Amino acid sequence: MSKPDAPASQSWPQAGHRLSRRQFALAAGGAVLTVAIPLGAQTQSPPSPPGSAPAAPARPPVDRAPGSFIRIGADGTVTFLLPTCEMGQGIHTAQAMILAEELGADWTRVRTAMPDQVTPDYRLPMGQQRSVGSFGVRFWHDPLRRAAAQTRELLTLAAAGRLSVPPGSLAAEDGHIVHAATGRRVPFGDLVQAASTLPVPQNPVLRPAEQRKLTGKTMRRLDTPDKVTGRALYAVDMKAPGMLHGAVRLSPVFRAEVESMDPASVQGMPGVVAVVAVPGGAVVVARGWWQAKQAADKLVIRFKATPNDRIGTPELEQRMRAALDSGVLPAALQRGDMDAAFRAPHQVVEADYAVPLLAHACMEPINCMAQARPDRLDLWTGTQAQDILLRDCGAAGGYRPEQVYFHNAYLGGGFGRKTHAEAAIQAMLASRAVGGRPVKVLWSRADDMQQGQYRQTMMCRMRAALDADGRIQGLRVRVAGPQMGRDNGIPLTNGVADGMSLTGITDMQYQIPNMLVDHAVVPMPMALSPWRSIANSFTGFFVEAFINECAAAAGKDPLEFRRQHLQGRPRMLAVLDRAAQSAGWGSPAPQGVARGIAVVESYGSTVAQVVEARLRDGHVKVEKVHVAIDCGRAINPGQVAAQMSGGVVDAMSVALRAKITVKDGRAEQSSFGDYQILRMGEEPEVVTHIVEIGSPLGGVGEPCVPPLAPALAAAASALSGRQVRRLPLADSGLA
Amino acid sequence: MSTQLQINGRRLRVDAAAETPLLWVLRDELGMTGTKYGCGVGLCGACTVHVGNDPARACITPVGALDRQQVRTIEGLGQDRIGRALQAAWIANDVPQCGYCQCGQLMSAAVLLRTTPVPSDKDITETMAGNICRCGTYDRIRAAIHEAARALSV
Repeated sequence: MSKPDAPASQSWPQAGHRLSRRQFALAAGGAVLTVAIPLGAQTQSPPSPPGSAPAAPARPPVDRAPGSFIRIGADGTVTFLLPTCEMGQGIHTAQAMILAEELGADWTRVRTAMPDQVTPDYRLPMGQQRSVGSFGVRFWHDPLRRAAAQTRELLTLAAAGRLSVPPGSLAAEDGHIVHAATGRRVPFGDLVQAASTLPVPQNPVLRPAEQRKLTGKTMRRLDTPDKVTGRALYAVDMKAPGMLHGAVRLSPVFRAEVESMDPASVQGMPGVVAVVAVPGGAVVVARGWWQAKQAADKLVIRFKATPNDRIGTPELEQRMRAALDSGVLPAALQRGDMDAAFRAPHQVVEADYAVPLLAHACMEPINCMAQARPDRLDLWTGTQAQDILLRDCGAAGGYRPEQVYFHNAYLGGGFGRKTHAEAAIQAMLASRAVGGRPVKVLWSRADDMQQGQYRQTMMCRMRAALDADGRIQGLRVRVAGPQMGRDNGIPLTNGVADGMSLTGITDMQYQIPNMLVDHAVVPMPMALSPWRSIANSFTGFFVEAFINECAAAAGKDPLEFRRQHLQGRPRMLAVLDRAAQSAGWGSPAPQGVARGIAVVESYGSTVAQVVEARLRDGHVKVEKVHVAIDCGRAINPGQVAAQMSGGVVDAMSVALRAKITVKDGRAEQSSFGDYQILRMGEEPEVVTHIVEIGSPLGGVGEPCVPPLAPALAAAASALSGRQVRRLPLADSGLA
Repeated sequence: MSTQLQINGRRLRVDAAAETPLLWVLRDELGMTGTKYGCGVGLCGACTVHVGNDPARACITPVGALDRQQVRTIEGLGQDRIGRALQAAWIANDVPQCGYCQCGQLMSAAVLLRTTPVPSDKDITETMAGNICRCGTYDRIRAAIHEAARALSV
């Protein structure tokens, strides 16, 4: 139930009105009318790790109660309860478009909200409610559409009874059930009560493509009006009666534990209410955050020594370089006969690549407000991973999943960072320590940047055997670095391959008959986290930069070289050709401009990019990026374009300058002065082409990132005459 | 200590230590959460407000320095023509993605249009480079500023 005075696009159900998935709920006025509905056996697909290939389209439909996603008030207001968080990707608008179109809702009156509890209806096939893997459209499209069709049929049946006409003579449009023959129109709201007594249709008929009114058209985002007035509420903006504020004091050295602390050192400071021990440090609770922060900085606290107290980036890189040279390792992928491929190659191409640790640097720093009562935990948060908070707060606080209520607000950026429970645990423990008052814990920018959960640093050695025609006959890939997936509880594929570290290599689209991939594991002291496009953020660079080098070694045009190795891969070829055509590939570039090209398949979509750059004062200046994406069908094309241009900027930030380095066991960077995000004036012109060739639905938010770095590296190499094999380009003096 | 503030035309009295940054007075004392915390050291621009006619980073502006000064925040941006034109252009161009930085972006853009009614791309870059957008909406911010400038000049 949404509060009547809540902003239209951000209202959530009042905690306490929990509807089980076996109920179909239609809201009439203030009351919730529910009716139990028979459901078939719950069919859940087996778990698959994020970043893995999209689920097969032929999977059986998962029974999800339509009332989990759709509430219709007696006043006709349609509220969509959406499973995916809104962190900038425009997903609430896209999911609402899918629902509204199938339902026949009045677009001008729809509201979006998020459910306050986790039920199976909101979970991905991996078995968790998460906003990861660019699943927002590609997975949720079908279940949402089915729920909307079920609801439409219920309303239609109710209208048929009321009008005494056959259901087949009725249509749902603009929030009404319409009888075309007589022109009679019944508002959805008037049908709610009757519809809620009917059994939910189990085989709803989906609207045919010619009835599409919303999807495929650029629709303005539902959240924009509130985001230009300050009304939009993020987790950090949450308020609750009696709320207190918490600032953290955490170990600067990765994973160090508290040895001792002296709460008396801050007692009596203005506003200070409590000092609460939490894993790895303390939360200082005060009346205002500024007071809490002043005290947290003054708190006398000592941390235990760790084996990593002296470690730094040079040692970590040395370990990775040494690991590249290790002997035989178990193969993560083995194909064909590598010995034969390398026995008498026409040419061998070899290169080592390296990428650094990255922070997510969400504009909204990590935060969470919690109210921890004996039998109930409320979390006001912006999380990408409700199920991880359920698990970790459950373990730390003893709450059962049904005792945990989420008030999931907008996220001021996510990028994978907001999949962890640190702030929720801290806020929960702090709330407990102050008798169950709500406590909002907010990390400072330095906390946010220095407390780990980084994109992993990796190195890669590529070695290819080319035949006389310039074809890659054998490819040897060794990556060296941590196992991010394993660190995050994802089982190793075949007991060896860390999917979150090798995706993009083991499933690369190039047709190479003989291949061997392994992973020389180098543990890291800091916590690692998914980062927009996960492994593809670096494997895209390794593979595509190397493909460009192989093309050069073979004396071939990099577009033509790719085409040669991508026969039978129509989605790769379609985007390559479109981006190349957009850039006038093959024609001479303007004076001083170099072009680079790359193409990556990830999260069910293919994206090709052509970067046009020039040197200015010795630094690479990206002027234009041509992007072509095949994401199946673009639900909201304007937002697909926004993700492409924004993704280019994001990827440019980390390709050019941003990186986390380690000294004495801690991160050296602390804010936007030393972790440099692209600023206004550096943004290139981005031209986006959406290629629709009938492919299955693919992701959008992440697939735009991987091709940028290798395409940019190719342009930078051409401009500087030095092969760029290391990110960021600033390490080579080029940015 | 008590400070008299004028925020969006409203006279308010707040009790906060003089060195408390305006940002935390707005957010925690006055409940005005449109002004965002991004870095706390004036590097990202998410907390941009106006003090008099000038832009200010609320995270490094002590409230004690603002006695009897006119402060405008995003909640009051729509009180004048420039603010409304910018908000309309932001909506027409669907500028925000996550939106967290956009209140600060709008406040910086309003100062720009007040001093430079028809800004060039260079003017926009110079004024707006202090406001980081992690979603990379710079192209649409630029387009929306031009559009607002056009709308205001007719």
